[in-house]
Amino acid sequence: MATLASRAPWMARVVQSRDIVPLIMLAFTTLLVIAPLLMILFATLTPDGMAAWQAITNSPLSRNLWWRPLGNTMILGAGTAIGCLLLGGFLAWLVVLTDVPARRFLAIMSILPFMIPSFAAALAWSTLFRNDRLGGQAGYFASNGIPIPDWLAWGIVPTLIVLIAHYYSLAYTMIAASLSSVSGDLVESAEMAGAKRGRILFGIVLPIVTPALISGGMLTFAGAVSNFAAPALLGAPVRMQTLSTRIYGMVQTGNIERGYVLALLLMLMAAALLYFSDRFVSGRRAFVTVTGKGARTKRFALGRWRWPLFIFATLIGVITTIIPVIVLFASSMAPRPGVLFSNWTLHFWIGPAGTSIAEGQAGIFRNPHLIDAVFTTIRLGLTVAGCAMLVGLLIAYTIVRYKASPYTRILSQLSFVPLFIPSIAMAAAYIAMYGTSLGPLPALYGTFALIVMAATANLMPYAVQSARGVLGQISADIEESARMTGAGAVRRMAQIVFPLAMRGIMAGGILVFIKIVRDLSLVVLLFSASTPLLSMIAFNYASLGFMQFANAITLVILVICLIASGLVHILQNKVQGWKSK
Amino acid sequence: MEKQMNMENRTRSATPAIAITNLTKRFDDFTAVDNINISVPPGSFLVLVGPSGCGKSTLLRMLAGLEPPTEGEIAFNGKVVSSGRSGVTTNPASRDAGLVFQSYALWPHKTVEGNIEWPLKVAGWSRDDRARRIDEVLKFLDIERLRNHYPAEISGGQQQRVAIARTIGPRPGVLLLDEPLSNLDAKLRVDMRSELMRIHRATKATSVYVTHDQVEAMTMATHVAVLRDGRVEQFGPPDELLRTPQTTFVATFLGTPAGNPIPATREGGAFMFGKTEMVSADLAPGHEKVQLLYRAQDITVGAREGRPVVKATYAESAPIAGQSMVTCMIGDLRLTVMVDGFYRAEPGAEIELCFLRDPDAVFNTDGQRIS
Ligand SMILES: Nc1ncnc2c1ncn2[C@@H]1O[C@H](COP(=O)(O)OP(=O)(O)O)[C@@H](O)[C@H]1O
Ligand SMILES: [Mg+2]
Repeated sequence: MATLASRAPWMARVVQSRDIVPLIMLAFTTLLVIAPLLMILFATLTPDGMAAWQAITNSPLSRNLWWRPLGNTMILGAGTAIGCLLLGGFLAWLVVLTDVPARRFLAIMSILPFMIPSFAAALAWSTLFRNDRLGGQAGYFASNGIPIPDWLAWGIVPTLIVLIAHYYSLAYTMIAASLSSVSGDLVESAEMAGAKRGRILFGIVLPIVTPALISGGMLTFAGAVSNFAAPALLGAPVRMQTLSTRIYGMVQTGNIERGYVLALLLMLMAAALLYFSDRFVSGRRAFVTVTGKGARTKRFALGRWRWPLFIFATLIGVITTIIPVIVLFASSMAPRPGVLFSNWTLHFWIGPAGTSIAEGQAGIFRNPHLIDAVFTTIRLGLTVAGCAMLVGLLIAYTIVRYKASPYTRILSQLSFVPLFIPSIAMAAAYIAMYGTSLGPLPALYGTFALIVMAATANLMPYAVQSARGVLGQISADIEESARMTGAGAVRRMAQIVFPLAMRGIMAGGILVFIKIVRDLSLVVLLFSASTPLLSMIAFNYASLGFMQFANAITLVILVICLIASGLVHILQNKVQGWKSK
Repeated sequence: MEKQMNMENRTRSATPAIAITNLTKRFDDFTAVDNINISVPPGSFLVLVGPSGCGKSTLLRMLAGLEPPTEGEIAFNGKVVSSGRSGVTTNPASRDAGLVFQSYALWPHKTVEGNIEWPLKVAGWSRDDRARRIDEVLKFLDIERLRNHYPAEISGGQQQRVAIARTIGPRPGVLLLDEPLSNLDAKLRVDMRSELMRIHRATKATSVYVTHDQVEAMTMATHVAVLRDGRVEQFGPPDELLRTPQTTFVATFLGTPAGNPIPATREGGAFMFGKTEMVSADLAPGHEKVQLLYRAQDITVGAREGRPVVKATYAESAPIAGQSMVTCMIGDLRLTVMVDGFYRAEPGAEIELCFLRDPDAVFNTDGQRIS
């Protein structure tokens, strides 16, 4: 570099310029995130696209295509946000600010639901509460003579319950982190001033956690609005459509431009929401889960409410995590949903084909298609985790080390854009961009590569966020001292930065892995016969009414996620012996 | 003045090990290092001293090659390694310099041995050479026991030694140290100070040492540059800076205790401080207002026959080697004076200060030396 530089000084200026790397990363991120968004926009500006706009926004159809799904979506979003804040806030208050028994246990119970995919909860609900309105096998209660009204079996109520059960742990995490930053001194000084308990809660504690409440509400709202699995399984069969299920329906029935228009509108809605909540709270802090530590918190004595509240909190956890898993497990063994706990058979797991059960279908482990799907799913999880973390690291590294460049700020904002894009809309955008051949690029529709790209883009914010956390722990000094030895950038990355970052990278990687392995809303549009994925197969079985198969596959997904988490945990301890010693 | 000439002769005689010319570093509009000129012969121990934020680290990082200069040049042994004009910055490794970081910056996932070995590996040393050199530096710094420990398992002082061992491993011609002792406790700091000087003698590497602690500067340096707001306030051997400070800033920054500049105004044939006649005005002809520099040992408590006396308010006192270092205030002016034996008074009490000798130096109101 020195010789090159001495020959052409202007070149040295360029090479040393702080903008090169940020610009490269910016171009890359644009290609991954912004280009598909532009493509989907352009696709709706064609004559067909304009017709779709017309049909959706201003035609006799718009009531069914847009206004009713929009209404349902909003009800689900608002209901989920309120329910999550109540449940999550209650649990966070109990765990952080009171002397409730077994607080650590409750804390773990409260974050578990998020580990379970929302379609698992939806399937469990269906297994229990399904009635005979649509024919097929009725659920456990209906079969046992407990009549289940339609509103409890299908539609908006069960969807809402399932969404709350899935998302409340997100609200819990954010509120708990914020509550633990309320220091005991603060509370005690209020006590000294003579304030009563209620006054302290509303006058001191609540204002401090308001930002967490707002961002928790917004994130759960956004999550519910873009969720596909729950409304698709519980609502769509009775024509309760949300924007997500409508997009899916449009793409499925070949009205692709209408799907694009709806995807654009959904994105706009999500973006507007998150934007305003972001304005309300300060910046990106909303998305960082702060591991509150240090500040001593003051715990209120619950008195005789200690045990009743403990039992109530435990029940919430049991109902939202343990019971669904038990139901899925039992159902995967039970010949009929009506008799969940007797006559167990392994047929749905390993039974041969051609018997009288399950319309002659073989058990899932006898189904070569399914074995294939297990491997494809794991491969997808690993590939996406690897790609997302690599991209996340590169972007985070650029953000941290090239602070001075104006492009770095744009890059940092751009990398969070996917947070505003519901997965199903992202999938639609990727179809718009790469679905047909693009110049020299072949059409990627239905390929593994397309799913990987879309998933990487979709999960980029999480990857960047965890990579930033990782790099934040590696001081500039550590890296500069490596630079002083004359080691090149690649060597420094490989031998200094990477080993140090390993633990955090694995933590981020497993998050991405789990998110994609259990994902439905992204792959539902991108999936094809050549890329069989477990979640898709479970969804298809459920749509066909084979609940046992769907439930068994869902359990397989859960087990894969659990094993992966366990492996990562062991590896982490191996890798960083130098830290625990 | 004569001393200054000598100094320049000395440095001009051989190719300087480090020559800094018109060096400037700007961050956006902020000038962190402002037109600095320093050069030192091979084997020197140059100390950059100044209050925090004066640009010491920035200057050192430019020497290390971690920051390119905005303007000016740095040459090691006559070879330009950084130049603001041509934009050339040779990379840190090829300039034969090693840097000890204030935070030590040990690589936490490598053992002590691994930390020392890696730079040698990067430099392409053979396995045998590496093993030999590692043994050598471990022994030299007396840390053989720690060979297989990880940085998190050893104390701050030991980490410091490892950081130094790692830096001197590849035998750099220039050793750069950024406040290496600031994270150690007082006792360890004194020990490490002599240790560093031993290392300097043994390696003969030209060293640049950054500190905000003037005691370190005065004890270790062959050359001192006092920095203030990115500029060199004064550059020279430590004794010269002590004896003939060129500015009041240098006079008040260096020395234990530091000197006392006192504002005085010409009235008739004398410079007056308030109503007290301090000294004959012949000392600085043609100046109306001046600052008179008195050493702490030239002022004491209690009137003496025939010497100027001023009233002051007692603030505090600290015993030092059989004497007391007394701090007192005259209005906003803080003075440090020496009293024999143990001296203490009620804080706020009025005491009399006596100026035993004529001022050491006279400065103008801008703080520049007149005589
Ligand atoms: N990378 C940078 N960007 C902007 N300002 C900087 C940067 N590095 C240092 N500075 C500023 O330059 C001044 C000198 O910093 P530094 O050299 O670290 O001081 P010292 O080491 O003497 O305490 C400080 O005011 C600091 O804020
Ligand atoms: Mg510094």
